[in-house]
Amino acid sequence: MTSELLDANGTIPVFAGTHVPQLRLPSSVRLEVMQTNGHHAPAATFVETEIISNEEIAPEHYLMRVRSEALANGEPGQFGVIRPGSATDIHPILPRPMAVYQYDKAACTADFVYRVVGYGTAAMAQRRAGDIVEIVGPVGRPFPISDTTNGILIVGRGIGVCSLTTLIDEANRRNIEIYAVFSARNKDVVLGKDMIKKARGNALYVDDSDGSSDVENVEPWISEIIESGRVQQAYVCGSNRLIELVTRLAAPADVETYVSLEAHMACGLGYCHSCATGAFGESAESPLVCRDGPVFRCHPAGVTV
Amino acid sequence: MAVQDTETDSRLGVDLGAGLTLKNPVMPASGCFGPEMGTLFDLGQLGALVPKTIFYGERAGNPAPRTAESPAGMLNSIGIPSRGVEHFLTELLPEYTKYDSPVIVSIGGLGIEEYDRLAERLNGEPGVAGLEVNISCPNLEAGGMEIGASPANVERVLRGVSDRFDGPVIAKLTPNITSIADIAKASEQGGATAISAINTLSGMVIDVDNQRTVTGTMTGGVSGPAIRPIAVRMVWQVCSAVSLPVVGIGGITSAKDALEFILAGATAVAVGTANFTRPTTMLDVIEGLKTYVETHHLSSIDDVRGQLEEGMRVAIEPPRPATPVSGRAG
Ligand SMILES: Cc1cc2nc3c(=O)[nH]c(=O)nc-3n(C[C@H](O)[C@H](O)[C@H](O)COP(=O)(O)OP(=O)(O)OC[C@H]3O[C@@H](n4cnc5c(N)ncnc54)[C@H](O)[C@@H]3O)c2cc1C
Ligand SMILES: Cc1cc2nc3c(=O)[nH]c(=O)nc-3n(C[C@H](O)[C@H](O)[C@H](O)COP(=O)(O)O)c2cc1C
Ligand code: FES
Repeated sequence: MTSELLDANGTIPVFAGTHVPQLRLPSSVRLEVMQTNGHHAPAATFVETEIISNEEIAPEHYLMRVRSEALANGEPGQFGVIRPGSATDIHPILPRPMAVYQYDKAACTADFVYRVVGYGTAAMAQRRAGDIVEIVGPVGRPFPISDTTNGILIVGRGIGVCSLTTLIDEANRRNIEIYAVFSARNKDVVLGKDMIKKARGNALYVDDSDGSSDVENVEPWISEIIESGRVQQAYVCGSNRLIELVTRLAAPADVETYVSLEAHMACGLGYCHSCATGAFGESAESPLVCRDGPVFRCHPAGVTV
Repeated sequence: MAVQDTETDSRLGVDLGAGLTLKNPVMPASGCFGPEMGTLFDLGQLGALVPKTIFYGERAGNPAPRTAESPAGMLNSIGIPSRGVEHFLTELLPEYTKYDSPVIVSIGGLGIEEYDRLAERLNGEPGVAGLEVNISCPNLEAGGMEIGASPANVERVLRGVSDRFDGPVIAKLTPNITSIADIAKASEQGGATAISAINTLSGMVIDVDNQRTVTGTMTGGVSGPAIRPIAVRMVWQVCSAVSLPVVGIGGITSAKDALEFILAGATAVAVGTANFTRPTTMLDVIEGLKTYVETHHLSSIDDVRGQLEEGMRVAIEPPRPATPVSGRAG
């Protein structure tokens, strides 16, 4: 299980020297590659499987459900690289990285929720139930949840919420309290509500239409939860300002912060080096988002680990 | 995993020269393959294994983003992030030699001497079945122009490598030149025992809204089906210019694509970009070649190599115009 990521001291050790150079992240945040400590997340497979459904769930947002035992047995925060079109399409040629939104191990299904932003996601939205889709997955290092954790904070914005929702089911299964802040541009696309409801989690839904998503507005809520000692681990995705905020508030309270990052990818497995976290001017290759991430530990800049 | 039909299987065997024989003519293209694919299928089914190009020392890659899409293809500006030859030998090579396929090590250099040093270091190393010399690297001693763009440099690099490495030496040609036949001849003169072609075509993709290039560099290398017709033409020109075995590379996604290269004269083929969306493309190609050998009753896939005729075969004589079109004769 994910908890095996932790060493005996209950802390996340880091590889010496694998400080991740900044990947369009605020300079106040520093990333570290998590050590796997013998935990082997499920290995990647090549899945050619049937699309069970592919429906619009909100404006420009679709949910694709696929049947696959390998994908259904992934861990929170893992993802797949999905070929947008059919096996004979030569355009687009690259697969698209997509987080698993929800696993159903019993039914052997995995769900992906995606927003149509370009050619590839538009092609995905054209696929129909019964079509065959090609996916390499599950890939990436999962979010760790420690055995000693009894509360977690989940903070996501926009499509970034989709990388976090698998934490909700996992925490619920382990009777861990859930506190979530989900932010969006407008009210019709706040994702993750259904899963929070099912898990009876505590959530703050905010959006830009009424200014409720302003950092100044969510800060008191997050700060209260952290200071009250109700959470031991925090997970963020989808907004630099929220990553900065949570990292800043969590560190003094010894709450561990994790972030899931995005990068342009090709293989999703770690051999093509598309997704390096940024290596300009460095003499060595930097960690890869697909293999060494997408989940990284966050620290306030200036703190040495 | 694949159905084992030994008789058909043996008909896929090919000879790349200098003692390098492959059980089938299908291998991955350098940079588009890694041992990470070993969880997806048994890599021992492939004709050969080709790791990403290594340099002698440690080097970083290019700034992000490093990949983008182009019509029916992609653009990459990965560069060649490398941990160096010692790291390769101790950490990476054992991950490849686990499989029942020869390992062809791709080497690069940012100057001519670097190739010499790599060849010397790799000579005699167990598990290294041959070298592929990636001459698409920028020559820093000559202002960054590709080493493979000058026949004199190509001959010098290949001579240096083949003098120091006792085994097959494959020259991997860049398409970013005027005459690929000249470069192929220079490779042969330098002592290459085989040729692979082509590497990526230099290209640019511009995001007009942001008025920036789409990757972290100005130019990148184009690969995928978009470059296939150019690659097939270049392989045909190489095969016409030299008598060495050739590995055809560029936009292969199926056995049909691979057969285009074989008909143009290639002895083997390599699959690059297609591995990203469909990692089992290479197995599809092997299966498709088996079917082709069977349906055409060939004793070996080599029987079709270079069996190319000019022009379309037309079943019915096309109607002739009653009077010749004036002024167009000849
Ligand atoms: C680990 C990970 C998990 C993700 N999970 C989700 C998810 O659950 N739901 C969702 O809607 N999106 C997710 N994304 C982002 C998603 O991959 C992009 O929105 C998608 O690739 C855009 O493709 P496109 O062809 O529609 O856009 P275009 O802009 O036309 O794409 C052009 C190229 O750029 C790449 N690209 C563009 N934007 C991104 C991006 N943000 N991240 C990575 N590559 C990009 C594309 O893959 C493609 O190769 C995730 C990204 C990563 C790295
Ligand atoms: C992401 C990427 C990385 C590559 N890296 C290398 C490399 O390290 N060395 C090399 O000789 N060729 C490299 N190539 C070129 C390929 O080996 C191949 O020659 C080219 O992509 C054309 O084949 P394709 O259309 O099947 O991809 C790379 C190509 C891609 C797309
Ligand atoms: S996407 Fe290929 S190395 Fe990360």
